[in-house]
Amino acid sequence: MNHRSLAFRLAVWYALLMSVTFALVGTGMLYGLTQYVRSSMGDSLRRRSVQVERILEQAPAGVTDSAIAESINTRVAPEFNNRFVRVTRAPAALVYRSGVPADRSFDPQGVPAFGSPWPIKKVTRSTVSAEGHELILSTTPLVTSSGQYLIELGASLEPIETLRQRQLALLGLLLPALVICAAGGGYLLVNWALRPVDRMSQTAAHMSLRNLEARLPVSPTGDALERLSLALNQLLARLRDSLRTSRRFLADASHELRTPLTIIKGELQEIVGKQVLQGEVRDRLGSVLEEVARLEHLVAGLLVLSRLDAGEVQRDWAELDLAELTLSTAEQMRLMAEDRGIKFDTRTLVPRVIRGDRARLRQVIVNLLDNAIRFTPRGGIVTLRSSQNNLHSMLEVRDTGIGIPAAALPHVFDRFFRVDEARSREDGGAGLGLSIAKSICSAHGAQILVDSELGWGSCFCLMFPRLPKGDNPGGSASQPERARQERRGVCWPSRYCHRRPRSSHHHVFVRQHRHIRWDAPTLLALSN
Amino acid sequence: MRLLIVEDDPKLAEFVARGLRAELYAVDVAGDGREGQRYINTYEYDLLILDLMLPFINGSELLRRVRQSHPSLPVLVLTARDAIEEKVRHFEAGADDYLTKPFDFAELVVRVKALLRRTPVERTDVLLFSDIELNRLTREVRRDGQRIELTGKEYALLEYLLSSPCRVFSRTMILQRVWDQSFEGVTNIVDVYVRHLRRKVDDGFPVKLIHTVRGVGYCVRESESAIAPDVQ
Repeated sequence: MNHRSLAFRLAVWYALLMSVTFALVGTGMLYGLTQYVRSSMGDSLRRRSVQVERILEQAPAGVTDSAIAESINTRVAPEFNNRFVRVTRAPAALVYRSGVPADRSFDPQGVPAFGSPWPIKKVTRSTVSAEGHELILSTTPLVTSSGQYLIELGASLEPIETLRQRQLALLGLLLPALVICAAGGGYLLVNWALRPVDRMSQTAAHMSLRNLEARLPVSPTGDALERLSLALNQLLARLRDSLRTSRRFLADASHELRTPLTIIKGELQEIVGKQVLQGEVRDRLGSVLEEVARLEHLVAGLLVLSRLDAGEVQRDWAELDLAELTLSTAEQMRLMAEDRGIKFDTRTLVPRVIRGDRARLRQVIVNLLDNAIRFTPRGGIVTLRSSQNNLHSMLEVRDTGIGIPAAALPHVFDRFFRVDEARSREDGGAGLGLSIAKSICSAHGAQILVDSELGWGSCFCLMFPRLPKGDNPGGSASQPERARQERRGVCWPSRYCHRRPRSSHHHVFVRQHRHIRWDAPTLLALSN
Repeated sequence: MRLLIVEDDPKLAEFVARGLRAELYAVDVAGDGREGQRYINTYEYDLLILDLMLPFINGSELLRRVRQSHPSLPVLVLTARDAIEEKVRHFEAGADDYLTKPFDFAELVVRVKALLRRTPVERTDVLLFSDIELNRLTREVRRDGQRIELTGKEYALLEYLLSSPCRVFSRTMILQRVWDQSFEGVTNIVDVYVRHLRRKVDDGFPVKLIHTVRGVGYCVRESESAIAPDVQ
């Protein structure tokens, strides 16, 4: 369970609130109940004492105390009723005291004498302790012709205490049960209430810049959720429109630049070709023509990007072997590399069949190799490696070049991004190569990842969706061979483009690359 | 040979016309689709160079009409759109060749010549220029009778340069012919191979044959005098 989730937090708050409420209500009810029972017990004592008063009032003059006692025993029956009765005549003569009650809840002899001095005027109610037993005592003064009397009636408080204990126990059992119900119910309820949000986020997760036509589901509830999905849908529509506008602009602009470029180039080439110019002028014109050529490449690159943005048709897709394509491309560029004292290591290229547009994929490989060659000093090695896991067929281009600073890593696929203005401009790089590579990869449903360490080199990795098994004659590494590869660490983290790689994956990667650390946040940033 | 250029950008049309006239063709220029149609209906042409974005009658429509009225007139289409499906569509509509802006004029001339030849290109088996000899059958290259060992790419490069001596081939043309379009943008790959080729072909010979025309490209020539100084 996610401890930071809204549902969890709400459930906890529910539970807290519910337990406080229940505790307050329970305590209040218990107190009220005790008070009520106590007062009704007092009332019943008062009624009994009226009976005793009547006996005393109606007693004829000169009657003996034992006769009065007899009369009280008969009419009030205190022992049988578990009551305490004591009648005292002023100044201190005990007229009657009830015996041990039937339930033996208290000892009548232990009840202390009434504390106030005579004459006593008021009816009082009090609680006294008789040798550890609590009694409620109702005291009534009475004046008759035969003298002043004090009638005390009492009853044990034990039944009230028992009632209180039972209620407390019940409350103690009920409260946790209620809290658990409230928390669980709250959790389920919140999850249920958030389901539309889940659906929205699922839809949103499947959207990409290529697919901005989808809309979030709107549940017509008239509440904040409906307003949220409507607002997000409007935002998506605006996003789509502005993206369309910018793509159209890109396409139109690169398109419109082509005719003037043709004229400039043609005219200049004609002048240069006329061979009437002197050295310096011709040289300058040549320099202008070089810039025109760069502009031309730039415009061509932009056009490629705009076409990829528009979702080029997949008519030319066919099955092809990634390793064969890489090898043939590398062969064509080998001299260029050797010219710079750089070696290609292609020993780890094994057949991996994918589906795609051969020319476009070659362009990706060319761009990656060109980059590797440009940024690797003399004596360096560019390693090409293909591999696969359950989901992906992969190609890796690793160099021992100057590397890319960590701060620049997340931007290397941005259009016109240059790590260092000076070092790429002199090579004529426009900063479009990698973004074209990324666009082509996205069109193939592939990911392109990068990692680099300054001074040690860079590694670009292409991850293509793997073809279904039956369709993959190229992945013909025999079973033992495959097992061997996997032991060697040619097993790639599954789905690691979508998730933060777990430490074990990280480890596998580091083992393969020794000097290159794949930085989890970078991977994450680059994968989307 | 009489050619018609239908192109709405007057500067581009004029520059192409001027270049083609210098190649001794008779060239007419029409500025829009309607005018182009009128020219085609009025005169007899050997080749039509057609831009696709035209006012009044657009290039695609004009191409369709020309195919109906003049089925055998070769048509070279110029366009700024170079998506593959677009190309296929225009070949289907009857274009004989296709050139994407921005193009090299040299490339245009090569294509025009190829289209005007009508008959299949006569392929000589042995290319001879100055004291260099390239045998297409045995893939042997000799200079001054001395055998020169070349790699596949170097051979292809030299063959291309020798196919039209004294013509300057741009890097883009060379890339497209000897490599393929995927290598566009890798600007110095051609330079590297030319340098290697030059080392094998020219080193040790008093007359240098492979020349750099700065900003334009490379060519095979004998005379040093009128050529741009080699900047490499």
